[in-house]
Amino acid sequence: MKTSATKQLLDLYKEQSALEDYQSGVPRWCTGCGDNAILAAVQRLCRDEGLRPEKTVFVSGIGCSSRFPHYMKTYGFHGIHGRAFPVAEGVKMARPDLAVFVNTGDGDCCSIGAAHWIHALRYNMNMTVFLHDNQIYGLTKKQASPTSPIGTKSNTTPRGSYLDALNPLTVSLGVSNVSFIAQAVDWIPETLFDIVKAAYHHKGFSFVRIIQRCPEWLPKALEPWLQDPDRVQLVHHTDGIQLSPGLARVYKNQVEHDPMDIHRAREIASNTETIPVGILYRNPNVPCYEDTRHSGALRTAEAIRKNFEAELDKYSV
Amino acid sequence: MEADLQAHVAFFLSGKASTPNLDTIDRLNLRPALFAGYRDLTRLRYDFPLILLKDESGSPCVESLSGLIDGILDKIARGPDGDRIRKHVLRLEQHIRAQAATGKEGKLSALWDKAAKELGKNDKPVADSLARARANLKVDGEVVDCNGGMPYQLIGHVWALTQTQRARRFGEVADRLIIKLSEILQADFANSNAGRSAANLKRTFGSGPMDKFDFDVMSKLLSKSAPKENLSKNRKKRIEKLLTTLKTQQFFPSPHSTSKPYVFAFESCSEAIKAYRERLPKAIELSKAVAIAELEVRGEYSEAKHDRLFESFGESGLDPRDMALFPDYLARIHAEQLPGGELGSLTEIMSLNLPIKVLVQTDDVIEESPISNGHLAFALRSRQLARMALGMAGVFVVQAPASSLFQLRDKIVRGLDCSGPALFSIFSGVVGGHEQLPPYLIGAAALEARVFPAFTMDPGAGDDWASRFSLAINPQPELDWPTHRIVHEDANCQSVCEEHPFTLIDFVACDSRYSKYFAVVPKAHWRDWLADAGSVIARDKRGDIDRIDSVPSVLLVDPENRLHKAVVTEKIIREARRCLSMWNSLQELGGIHNSHAERLLARERSAWEESAKAIAVASVPAVAVPSPAAPAVAEAAPAELTTEQSSDEAYIETPRCASCNECIQINDKMFAYDGNKQAYIKDINAGTYAQLVEAAENCQVAIIHPGKPRNLNEAGLDELIKRAEAFM
Ligand SMILES: Cc1ncc(C[n+]2csc(CCOP(=O)(O)OP(=O)(O)O)c2C)c(N)n1
Ligand code: SF4
Ligand code: SF4
Ligand SMILES: [Mg+2]
Repeated sequence: MKTSATKQLLDLYKEQSALEDYQSGVPRWCTGCGDNAILAAVQRLCRDEGLRPEKTVFVSGIGCSSRFPHYMKTYGFHGIHGRAFPVAEGVKMARPDLAVFVNTGDGDCCSIGAAHWIHALRYNMNMTVFLHDNQIYGLTKKQASPTSPIGTKSNTTPRGSYLDALNPLTVSLGVSNVSFIAQAVDWIPETLFDIVKAAYHHKGFSFVRIIQRCPEWLPKALEPWLQDPDRVQLVHHTDGIQLSPGLARVYKNQVEHDPMDIHRAREIASNTETIPVGILYRNPNVPCYEDTRHSGALRTAEAIRKNFEAELDKYSV
Repeated sequence: MEADLQAHVAFFLSGKASTPNLDTIDRLNLRPALFAGYRDLTRLRYDFPLILLKDESGSPCVESLSGLIDGILDKIARGPDGDRIRKHVLRLEQHIRAQAATGKEGKLSALWDKAAKELGKNDKPVADSLARARANLKVDGEVVDCNGGMPYQLIGHVWALTQTQRARRFGEVADRLIIKLSEILQADFANSNAGRSAANLKRTFGSGPMDKFDFDVMSKLLSKSAPKENLSKNRKKRIEKLLTTLKTQQFFPSPHSTSKPYVFAFESCSEAIKAYRERLPKAIELSKAVAIAELEVRGEYSEAKHDRLFESFGESGLDPRDMALFPDYLARIHAEQLPGGELGSLTEIMSLNLPIKVLVQTDDVIEESPISNGHLAFALRSRQLARMALGMAGVFVVQAPASSLFQLRDKIVRGLDCSGPALFSIFSGVVGGHEQLPPYLIGAAALEARVFPAFTMDPGAGDDWASRFSLAINPQPELDWPTHRIVHEDANCQSVCEEHPFTLIDFVACDSRYSKYFAVVPKAHWRDWLADAGSVIARDKRGDIDRIDSVPSVLLVDPENRLHKAVVTEKIIREARRCLSMWNSLQELGGIHNSHAERLLARERSAWEESAKAIAVASVPAVAVPSPAAPAVAEAAPAELTTEQSSDEAYIETPRCASCNECIQINDKMFAYDGNKQAYIKDINAGTYAQLVEAAENCQVAIIHPGKPRNLNEAGLDELIKRAEAFM
């Protein structure tokens, strides 16, 4: 049904915010850090979607990237290392009306928090997740992370790391109930924004891996990809990201891919020579855990009192 | 002229039988030949009776008895016992159908149990089959046959279900709002001095070791630490008022209210309009309360903005989509009420788009004309009604005989649930001179004969007539009259098969009031000029007729299924033509033989043929005619749009900026962020060329282009220009 006159009228009166209205404090990230680009894209999303600050919450773990909630003038929860997902799940369960975002690093998500990450994918709760993947522990000053490329010299691997990097995309695409997987890079702001927006609009667990530069500890690591546009592969589709003429001119390596095709998504995700950028997988039909579990019953005063007393009764002797 | 022809033409023109060889049809108890197979409807499996099912969410609201039985048989009539079970259950179905046809009404379960008891009394296998079927009967509801009360009941039943759904939807909204608004007031109270007083703390503590607590100290602590802000007086008053409005509304039954809910079903359009008008201010108040309450519970109500907006809320009535929150009104009337003022009310409903659903039931579609005696004007009212309803934008219309209502059930549900007016113009077939025929058969015959064609107009189905208007339910809608194969035996006991159209004349022939317009021709006098009425009408539609060389006739059967032929008077033929012309205009609306489309098609076809001819000529070798469509010179590919600026000016490729702060750190007067937090050169004169070059070198994505220096006196320019070359 089209919206009623009353609703249209009220929408006209909705508060409009500017991007700066979502900015809180001055980011303490190093100058040149890719996290800044992610912050800009997310603030733009908040402004364009008219997200109300009191209805929006950013949850993070620990790391440079996890400082993100401090810079958003919304609700935020700077959690403990690796535990952003359980906190975010609790928030969503209690307050399904809130827009929930998670900011996590490659150490936070793929190392200490890996177990929570796998189960968060399987729960498929409606939230938007940004994995700030700088392939290093940034905050603790350069230790190898699970996504550091083999041979990465760091404080913990002075002779270079010994293992092949873990690929967060293929790992995610292997978990049951996965519903949205995308990849972006911080240095193509246009697609970064498009992907952030698509992730927000997907109902379910939207997982966006963002390849993020850490000029402080790995200044040269991504140079080959930055300098050669052909090493970025733009993944586009009418149901995915569409390319602007300007972008298509610079990035000639393009592939059309239907986000419903999970097998092809896994194939594209496995590519490490070039960085695929776009929506790899999207399936709107996977049920969300909070919908499956919510009874839908209204929380009347009596119901609250009853539940509360039942809880307290557990402790009375 | 032959004597017989003379007599037949004379009857055709004057209605007077001038020879003993023309008999009246009264005594013979005749009916159209097509009806020969439908003597006893209860022995046939067809759409009726219907079961009006109670609201089982997701299930249909009405089902046919045979459909229900088929569903049960699908489950149980299997294996070696399958045939036996099927036979017994079908016997039960027939029994129930016969009961319903005698006017027995009641719940299906009751009729079923009674029938099963009778049939299985002394027959164990039957009892067993019926018991198995009964165990699989999962639904129940009133059984209604196709009779005069059925349209009233069916429309009322479906309407009531849509109202129940609306009440449920509204109840969910209202309950949520009431809880949330009350919580705001409760929180405010808990925050107030009274709420934090020792007495209140003690009261809310419940039972337990009360002496272990010092409520005075608790109260003091709370008073000091709790937030000081309370609800403003205005907001509190507003919320209390909203709660009263939501709790005392009478549009839906409510657990909070002591007053009785309004009635929405009426027996006249004028009463329905009156009730609608009287309640409109209350409806506006409630609609406004819901809108404000939604804002309040989200904490979005702003007095500065919204007070003024809501002051004038609903001044020009309510938007139909806002109205969709409320129950719709139902008026069920008979066509005879229309001339006495109801037509005016109905017009008002449709032209003002009032949310009132109207059932107009016509019981006699070929009543004698109200205009003057002897003048025939069949289906006059229903045609007027159809024309009027189709002429108004946004009115949902279903016109159909009662016999088709089951097939149209989905449209009926849509019509009753749509926002805005809906008209159901239904022909019941219960009054008239068709004494010996059941209403179902009369309805079906009226549909066949195009006397009461069926159509639906669903304004919500799309933006054009093609998506909104449908004639699909009519038999053979592409023809003037549907044709049927009639098989009979000739004098030599050979079977003869003939195609016959079923026209208005066949329909009128079985109505005793009009028997004087027919005369039976004894078999010995059947002649070639006795043409079937349908082809005579078709012929003079084409204007082929210039002298009477054939007389229209119809085929009828008597109770023994013997074939008779009757000639018809011109007066009836004239009515048939009028009926056909209405049908033809409906066909045009339905896109069948649409005259505009056909003309366009003819024009395009001849244009296509012309051009095909031209191509054929052109392709003959050596007569190469240049095609006018081909461009004289190959068009140049459009030049690629470039946005690059001259390399003398400094610039930033802003859309590619990764917001990394590098340039801003160097000089935040020279570089700044735009609304999307992407950098641009704000003031080229606010810094040095050296800073421009440094920024270009530090920019992670190399999108700063320093251009040529402006100040040629700047120190170290040579070296800077060299460094800048990489970013040109
Ligand atoms: C339980 C626990 N273990 C270890 C640490 C130390 N620690 C802080 S941040 C961090 C790694 C952060 O890396 P990443 O998640 O990639 O974030 P980045 O700083 O790179 O954005 C570690 C190991 C901690 N804070 N808590
Ligand atoms: S250390 Fe790396 S990741 Fe952390 S703020 Fe600095 S540049 Fe960014
Ligand atoms: S240095 Fe480049 S990427 Fe960074 S803010 Fe300036 S223009 Fe943007
Ligand atoms: Mg990291």
